[in-house]
Amino acid sequence: MNLYFRRRLANGIIMTLSVAATGFGLLWLVLVLWTLLWNGVTAITPALFSQMTPPPGSAGGLLNAIFGSVVMTLIATLIGTPTGILAGTFLAEYSRGSRFGEVVRFINDILLSAPSIIVGLFVYELMVVNMGHFSAWAGAVALAIIVIPVVVRTTEDMLNLVPDTLREAASALGSPKWKVIVMISYRAAIQGMVTGVMLAVARIAGETAPLLFTALNNQFWSTNLNAPMANLPVVIFQFAMSPYADWQVLAWGGALLITITVLFLNIGARALASWGTFKP
Amino acid sequence: MSPASLRQSMPPPYRPATRPDPSLQQKVLIRDIDFYYGNFKALKNITMPLHDKRVTAFIGPSGCGKSTLIRVLNRIYELYPGHRATGEVIIDGENTLAPGVDLNLLRAKIGMVFQKPTPFPMSIYDNIAFGIRLYHRLPRAELDDWVESALRRAALWDEVKDKLRQSGLGLSGGQQQRLCIARAVAVQPQILLLDEPASALDPLSTQRIEELIAELKADYCIAIVTHNMQQAARSSDYTAFMYLGELVEFDETELIFTHPKQKHTEDYITGRFG
Amino acid sequence: MAAEVALPGAAAGKGRAGAVGDLLFRHLTFLFALLVLLILGGVIVALIEGALPALTTFGISFLFADVWNPVTEKFGALAPIYGTLVTSVIAMVVGIPVAFGVAVFITEICPIWLKRPLATMIELLAAIPSIIYGIWGLFVFAPFVQQYIQPAIIDTLGQIPGIGALFAGPPLGIGVLTAGFILAIMVLPFISSIMRDVFETVPAILKESAYALGSTRAEVVWQVVLPYTRIGVVGGILLGLGRALGETMAVTFVIGNAHRISTSILQPGTTISASLANEFTEAVGDLYLSSLIALGLILFAITFTVLAIAKFMLLQLQKQAGS
Repeated sequence: MNLYFRRRLANGIIMTLSVAATGFGLLWLVLVLWTLLWNGVTAITPALFSQMTPPPGSAGGLLNAIFGSVVMTLIATLIGTPTGILAGTFLAEYSRGSRFGEVVRFINDILLSAPSIIVGLFVYELMVVNMGHFSAWAGAVALAIIVIPVVVRTTEDMLNLVPDTLREAASALGSPKWKVIVMISYRAAIQGMVTGVMLAVARIAGETAPLLFTALNNQFWSTNLNAPMANLPVVIFQFAMSPYADWQVLAWGGALLITITVLFLNIGARALASWGTFKP
Repeated sequence: MSPASLRQSMPPPYRPATRPDPSLQQKVLIRDIDFYYGNFKALKNITMPLHDKRVTAFIGPSGCGKSTLIRVLNRIYELYPGHRATGEVIIDGENTLAPGVDLNLLRAKIGMVFQKPTPFPMSIYDNIAFGIRLYHRLPRAELDDWVESALRRAALWDEVKDKLRQSGLGLSGGQQQRLCIARAVAVQPQILLLDEPASALDPLSTQRIEELIAELKADYCIAIVTHNMQQAARSSDYTAFMYLGELVEFDETELIFTHPKQKHTEDYITGRFG
Repeated sequence: MAAEVALPGAAAGKGRAGAVGDLLFRHLTFLFALLVLLILGGVIVALIEGALPALTTFGISFLFADVWNPVTEKFGALAPIYGTLVTSVIAMVVGIPVAFGVAVFITEICPIWLKRPLATMIELLAAIPSIIYGIWGLFVFAPFVQQYIQPAIIDTLGQIPGIGALFAGPPLGIGVLTAGFILAIMVLPFISSIMRDVFETVPAILKESAYALGSTRAEVVWQVVLPYTRIGVVGGILLGLGRALGETMAVTFVIGNAHRISTSILQPGTTISASLANEFTEAVGDLYLSSLIALGLILFAITFTVLAIAKFMLLQLQKQAGS
């Protein structure tokens, strides 16, 4: 077996393995989505959206959980987005080459990948212990802490893409720096920034761990933000781990709902990102 | 305020009683300017005047410091840490490099057009209005007039008057550059700095820009950086030749190109280097 | 004195307003940037504060004790730590080669029109929330593993003397191996995406020079691309590891939640995050709670270290690419 043949063989093997690896990865994607659809579609009934989470053994829906998830996600986005944008603006516009900026960027990236259950623990110690009870507020804050690093990173990246000549042109007209940022840089980067927010929302839509010890769960309908509030992920956790069949069906339904939302946001974000990029 | 009366409404601080000739009005005096990028000395001891209502061209090989020099005039370099200038720039009797000078107001008095067109991501109308709105609170009708006047000045009005609401990014390169010129003159500066304004444009657009400069000359003190010597010879009244951060020679354009005093200048002009 | 400008209108007033606006805005953005640091600081402080009772009671032996008894209030972190590490190692062993294969395929083999959609699809794997993997793992994957995979493993690898002990035991479906495998699927898109990004930074002329000498594609990847990008690749792997260490919901569903260390990876176990998820809200007693928070502190310390190293390496790569 001469050398050239061996090399060709090695090449063929490695390339085939690469194709196989890609197929392998795609296989699991298809499998997970397919079984999710298969098991969850039976639970998608009008009752799902109109009835509350039932006690074991009875029929019901997920309305209170859906409501809770929407409310907490919304509050988390409202808290986290401006925070993240402003912090990201600082990194991109005011901290060129500064030590402080480097440290913040570094810490931000660590928070970005930190285990979300740790965030839950933190907010537990911070809010639940001090307030004396679980609450939707605590859940929203925990989710906000997950949103912030994502928005900081995308804001900074997008603002860094805005060419300096644009800023110079505005400064050369005598514009104060904050107007250069708000009226020129933000406008130029808006597409990417919105994409970042969408991805952040997609991320928190499915997060369970941070809600486990903050918002906890609530069997009933509640709009009280100062009390435990039902939410989809924790309900799914509870119902899926239980031995009750109708609870498990509801769990699949909730899982399907979350997945559809998340995929929608993700694909939407990517579509927005590649739709007519800003040309300098 | 009608477009026609716009010109009269703009009083320069020095208004000579008669049209001066040959006594020129010195608008800017650059004196003993050194410039540093960090530790690198990019400009060495530059002293020269810029005359009002005249075009002064800066020529020289790449890296000679001509762009750096005009960027000292509106202190745009201060956006970047590590860049600093020493010396004086006297505009209308004031040293604009002194500490305590309000940079935004200074820059409102000096217009700048860059090498690459830089339209803001907004409509054509808003591009022009942006600078105006920084310092004036005008009723809508008056703002429309100012915008129209600026666009006319930049010889762009006829081409965009029907699409003022469209994005500035949709214009051609030459049109975008004229938009930037319109934007710069809209705020009624007294000095215009043009940093290789036509270098990214095709020859036809370049010609239009040069015609435009000839018209604008009547109202502004213009400094233009160019790597195109023919352009300098065509368009300017005075020329400064720079080399490696030093001002080698400064004189009337005609004299520079026909009877240069420095050997170096002559070598550059005849194409022996650069 | 400020340069007097003959500007009609409220120019001077606006100039001063601009300066005030600048100051305000600058400080506002600075404050929020500071907030990011404060959040991290808060996390560390909160964890230490909550873990202190347990740490002072058990001392350093907390890390090495394999005991977890809420009744006698004796707690030791060894089982959860072990489970966390083993599941993550399995995730890396399976995930890294697959991620590498995907990255090579997308950057070197794939036709141009397929690149974007394929990359998007692989990244959707990362978008699927952890709990979805959990519920899928419990109801679909674990039974499948129990019925087909585990018996096969036990009959083959389990029979080999020596390492056979690693694959022993009744096929339960759930367990350390199952959890590790699902983790692999979850982290492979992260690792693959970073690998892809760093592979794309290899200058085309470098690869072309290798091809021009008659190298095969595999050789170019192995001998040119990989060495050029090795820092970034390691950084990406560490990032994936950081994620695997902290993963909660998927693992909680399929690991079996048994506070014990088994030799066999086919057996149930527990990880730090799974223990927290399962027991925190039920924990009665301050010491129990504090021990759980101490587990959280340990997890945070481990992931922080791994992520910091990963970030550092990726920064090195950026500097190298920028020079």
